[in-house]
Amino acid sequence: MLEINNISTTVGDTEILKGLSLNINAGEVHAIMGPNGSGKSTLAQVIAGHENYIVTDGTVQYDGKDLLELAPEERAREGVFLGFQYPVEIPGVNNAYLLKAAINAKRRHQDRSEIDAFEFLQLAREKMKDLDMDSAFLNRGVNEGFSGGEKKRNEILQMIMLEPRLVILDETDSGLDIDALKAVAKGVNAMRSPDRAILLVTHYQRLLDYVEPDFVHVLSEGRIVRSGDKTLAQQLEEHGYEWVREAANA
Amino acid sequence: MTSVTHELLEAAVSRFPQDALTPVRQAALAQFAKSGFPTIRQEDWKYTNLGAVVDLSNAWLANVSAAAPQRNWTAAARRAVDEILESIDASWIVIGNGITALETLSEVEALRNQGIDISKLSTDGDTAAIVSDDQMTRFNAALLQDGLRVRIHPSANLSKPLGFLFVDHAENGSLSQARLIIDVEPDATIDIIEAHVSVGSDAQFANTVVQLTVADSAEVGYVRVQDRADTHIQVGKLIAELKKDAVLDYASFDFGGSLVRNDVAVNIAQAGATVNLHGLYMAGAEQHIDNHTRVDHRVGPAVSREEYRGIIGGRARCVFNGKAIVHKAADGSDAEQSNHNLLLSEAAEVDTKPELEIYADDVKCAHGATVGQLDRSALFYLQSRGLGRDEAMQLLTRAFAARLLTATPITEIHAYIAQKTDQRLDALINGVTQ
Repeated sequence: MLEINNISTTVGDTEILKGLSLNINAGEVHAIMGPNGSGKSTLAQVIAGHENYIVTDGTVQYDGKDLLELAPEERAREGVFLGFQYPVEIPGVNNAYLLKAAINAKRRHQDRSEIDAFEFLQLAREKMKDLDMDSAFLNRGVNEGFSGGEKKRNEILQMIMLEPRLVILDETDSGLDIDALKAVAKGVNAMRSPDRAILLVTHYQRLLDYVEPDFVHVLSEGRIVRSGDKTLAQQLEEHGYEWVREAANA
Repeated sequence: MTSVTHELLEAAVSRFPQDALTPVRQAALAQFAKSGFPTIRQEDWKYTNLGAVVDLSNAWLANVSAAAPQRNWTAAARRAVDEILESIDASWIVIGNGITALETLSEVEALRNQGIDISKLSTDGDTAAIVSDDQMTRFNAALLQDGLRVRIHPSANLSKPLGFLFVDHAENGSLSQARLIIDVEPDATIDIIEAHVSVGSDAQFANTVVQLTVADSAEVGYVRVQDRADTHIQVGKLIAELKKDAVLDYASFDFGGSLVRNDVAVNIAQAGATVNLHGLYMAGAEQHIDNHTRVDHRVGPAVSREEYRGIIGGRARCVFNGKAIVHKAADGSDAEQSNHNLLLSEAAEVDTKPELEIYADDVKCAHGATVGQLDRSALFYLQSRGLGRDEAMQLLTRAFAARLLTATPITEIHAYIAQKTDQRLDALINGVTQ
């Protein structure tokens, strides 16, 4: 589904990704781990299409299309979803309005009719209940005054409502208490399906205790230096990132 | 001194019929001869150049005879009136080119039974209240042909807002001077709308003065909305005086016009008064919109709140100057003012200056101003959810304006303002992305 082939990326004058390759097939859950500054979030932003990240080399294919040619909104409508590490607060834009506009943008792209207002509300309330979110959040400004945990739940709610094919979750586990972590993990696990791929970007193994990845990759200095199964995450937890760095340089 | 030719002005005024306003015009004419129009050398006018008004005025003055009230308006003017009358539910008094339309006289009769008296300044003789203490109010008084005196009695029980619709259309001249003197008597409650529209693409210049007195414990909701053609110049001033425990809740919206200057001067004359000033200006292309406000806290306690917001695209330029003066005897004053601007293009410009002058000891005052662009991280966030760039920009811009819409008094006008705001947003954002 997603083929990242040897990409290099700069932000301003700094090169962050330095020849990174990664293949993700439908039905798979991948975790990308790595120390701060290794380029994890950059990878997530590049896939979503943030304009500050310039791809200087390499290709990214999504379902056989050149992903880098698509505007961020086109990627979203094609089924790419990024759960932000720091969801943006947008006062004055209603949470329900954004959810509905996002669903309808995708539906229009697929030549489907817009979602019925009643159907939308019912669906949103049901999914919020699953996430243990008060439905009053629907009428608030997008992430406006939300706590860290509420913002992350809101990202998961958007993910569930938009039914993406490729999910990237950027540090969705950071700053969550155990209840919120479990709610988020439940939401992610519910998304696992044979025609969907999930990429978890995380610093810690914590989330992986609840969402079991098929593959784990370790990112260091802009490259994947090691790949393996879920046991790699446990090894990392025991030995720390220094161990990977040494192994990579050996 | 840049100003109109005095001989033309004098000759024009001499052609007006003799009426109760004749001495007012003569006195103002003499004063205006000394001062002329404001120039950019005056601190209050340094960003707003009225040069374009001079030639326009001279041409008009050379040809003018007294304007007559009209029954038969052009189809375009009629449509402009109907659009307002149909979209905003109010008791409307229609004023065309500064002259009260005859057809609204029946409305005046109907209002009399509801505790509201409206009479013409040119006939009722009560001209002592006419203020002409600065250059533009003087010019207004020198050429004033009509004008209305409005009294809102304590018994007033109008179920909808009282609206004044100013329509300027080229047919009867390209200059108009309108004046309202509104007295809201003790304990009275009233909602007032001041709407400005214009038709025709020839240059026009309208100069409006509203004098508003809010007596003890009276409450006024006041919305000014201006949606003139983009070749038209609008200068307006609201002079408000608040007595004991009076409340003025004011909101101003500028959507159109090529050159617009609004002055709001609020005098808090007695204790316990509350004034809220809100404003939204949306400018694109070559538009120039200048808002100057001044609140004088002469006694305390009293509260003034002010928030103006601007959305500026194209090569438009906007000016905000908000001054709150807390005089020595005004202990217990509580004044806040802010101005926030969103620039949609590189060439858009705003000059903003909130000012506080405090001469009393026991006061609470705050002010602030911001100038910014759309938040790029918010734009990307919305795009990453599938919203197109235009839609995302519109959503964020509308959110910026929404705060003022919710603070606007007079619910009857909300739908109209929301619709005009969206129309302007469309135009401004298309101007940016195309």
